[in-house]
Amino acid sequence: MRTNWASATAIALLLCLSSAAHAEEVTAWRLFISDHAEPKVTVIDAVDGGKLDTFRIKGPASLHRSESGRTVFAVQGAAGVVTGIASGISFEDHGEHGDIDVEAPKLAGVEIAGGKPSHFVEHNGDFAAFFDGEGAARIISEKAVLEGKSDFREMKTDAPQHGVAVAYGSYVLLSEPNREKPDELPVGIRVADEAGAQVGGFHACPDLHGEASSGNVLAFACATGLLVVTHGDGTPAIRHLPYPHSLPHGKTTTLTGGRGLQYFLGNFGADKVVLIDPTVESDAFRLISLPTRRVHFAVDPVRAKFAYVFTEDGQLHQLDVVKGEIANSLKLTDPYSMDGHWSDPRPRVAVAGDRIVVTDPLRGVLHLVDATSFEKTGDIAVEGKPFNIVSVGGSGQTHEGE
Amino acid sequence: MSRMLKLAAAASVVTLLPVTFSVAAAENLKVVASFSIIADFAKNVGGDRVDIATLVGPNGDAHVYEPKPADAAEVGSADVVLVNGLQFEGFLQRLVEASATKAPVVELTKGGEVLRNTEEEDHHEDKAAAGKEGHAGEADEGHEEGHHHHGESDPHAWQSVHNAEVYVKNIADAFCAADKAGCDTYRLNAESYGEQLEALEEEIKATIAEVPEDKRMIITSHDAFGYFEHEYGIKFLAPEGVSTESEASAADVAALIKQIRQDKASAIFVENVTNPRLIEQIASETGLKVGGELYSDALSDENGPAATYIEMMRHNITVIKGAIVGS
Repeated sequence: MRTNWASATAIALLLCLSSAAHAEEVTAWRLFISDHAEPKVTVIDAVDGGKLDTFRIKGPASLHRSESGRTVFAVQGAAGVVTGIASGISFEDHGEHGDIDVEAPKLAGVEIAGGKPSHFVEHNGDFAAFFDGEGAARIISEKAVLEGKSDFREMKTDAPQHGVAVAYGSYVLLSEPNREKPDELPVGIRVADEAGAQVGGFHACPDLHGEASSGNVLAFACATGLLVVTHGDGTPAIRHLPYPHSLPHGKTTTLTGGRGLQYFLGNFGADKVVLIDPTVESDAFRLISLPTRRVHFAVDPVRAKFAYVFTEDGQLHQLDVVKGEIANSLKLTDPYSMDGHWSDPRPRVAVAGDRIVVTDPLRGVLHLVDATSFEKTGDIAVEGKPFNIVSVGGSGQTHEGE
Repeated sequence: MSRMLKLAAAASVVTLLPVTFSVAAAENLKVVASFSIIADFAKNVGGDRVDIATLVGPNGDAHVYEPKPADAAEVGSADVVLVNGLQFEGFLQRLVEASATKAPVVELTKGGEVLRNTEEEDHHEDKAAAGKEGHAGEADEGHEEGHHHHGESDPHAWQSVHNAEVYVKNIADAFCAADKAGCDTYRLNAESYGEQLEALEEEIKATIAEVPEDKRMIITSHDAFGYFEHEYGIKFLAPEGVSTESEASAADVAALIKQIRQDKASAIFVENVTNPRLIEQIASETGLKVGGELYSDALSDENGPAATYIEMMRHNITVIKGAIVGS
């Protein structure tokens, strides 16, 4: 195993001496931050706060990390390209323990070009980038990205659209454009096989926008409820979970999936979020009111009980997803009004191990919050306007001499 | 090396929140059972004094279950949480943490006879053979010291009726600790149910005795019947390991098909918690006829043939015997 220490990554707790190899427990976390104005991605060591690298890209980007944490993707809508970055951190499961391998982050050498890339979705190690300007999805595996190969396959829909695709095993789920009103959101989902032939019927999902996975369930948000996708008998099983009449008028347009507990968290109107249990027919939706309008939200992958919501009054809220209520709130930034353009620079939230990290683009800092005490513990200065953020990392063993 | 371990020492995983307390006698005990078979045991012991919520219900697969926030709320408000242990419920630790429960989480296999996961032994042996960092020596010693990692033991202990009696005893102990006023009732119920289990065990042995010894090799989906094999002398082979989480590889399936042909397996069965397609494919390639559906890790719903543990074991042995020698 290679252990090229690209930075002062924390090394803790000498552990196993049970075998020939000398095992050390290592913790490494990295933050990948895009800038709101500049075409760059900054990589910060989340353990010591030091800058590891800055990657120049072609346009301001939204960021996505893979499930494995081995890759980060910069989706540059205006520049028409998706850039793959190798995070430098990987894990190998050995059952009773996991090994960590830490190397320098680097551009993976993979770029996927096309008109207006927008939604970027991973499912089981396959990434699907949807290019709105072409109405096409380009699908690539994590293995190919890490080998620096731009070996993607393409699936086309009938027309340009603000769409989405999910590579779902041997199938691809593709959004269906609104033919009557091409500028509006997609109207549903079709399933295609590897040859592009349609499988099964059309699944209506008016105003489709927002998708997420939680465990073995995938969901799309619609004006009428959720499309819930599970592994069927051979082909994906898709059912519609309608909003109940008890919910006020509104819809979800952004979804994220719970980790550790199976649920979805979505927006519902400007100042509410909704917790969704995709496996039940009744009482599936729990609405939670926020003190002001929502800016961003994220789930905690470690403490399954919590998710975090940032609101325009500069507060970070700790959401207890079991009780369905805000457990704690913490003032972090000056107000960030939701008036103005939807893509104005506003804070984003990520969780890196025991820390919650919130970007503050107008002040050029990252705010650090201890996830256990929910108290602010510090700041990290970042040049420019730090905007989108993802974290990768964890703990594992390394073995001397390997 | 003996495949048997005393779990009392090995069961170190679920010692979560060992707080016990008594509830007011006027209220029923709020019990959470991790899956349907445990819920049935708890019902037989608790009777009318307990309210039971089941996390993984009939025909559900606990190996791959994803707990919901509502499950965490259920566990959080429980008086007693009953689990199998031996890492059968892979979701357990995160669920208990999310629930912040103060209830005792009782591992029912504690004190039972536990079989090693032979798949895990193979894993160690493979590593040792490859000269890599491994713990091959631990397969021979050290586990009794409480070192317990993923997959070390076969979790399907309920497939031995003798172990089921241990589950029942542990449930009675847990209920007594939480509800002293009801203890006599729980003990009486456990004793009565234990007599039914003893009769069941005799019934199983008598049925197996009617199956010729050279016909006692059968195929199922996953390695869920190791205890049944150990106790009652039917040899089970399966393409998947002790957990359904990992799919069988093409090489595993090919090796199994070769072994079926070589050793002349008598029958092949689907399971209620797994997709039947792989078994149907193996049946097709080997010429074996699917002999029916066995209930491995979950009961049937109340209208099915295995709505209780006793019905499940009777159903399984009837189906097995019927497929091999005719009913």
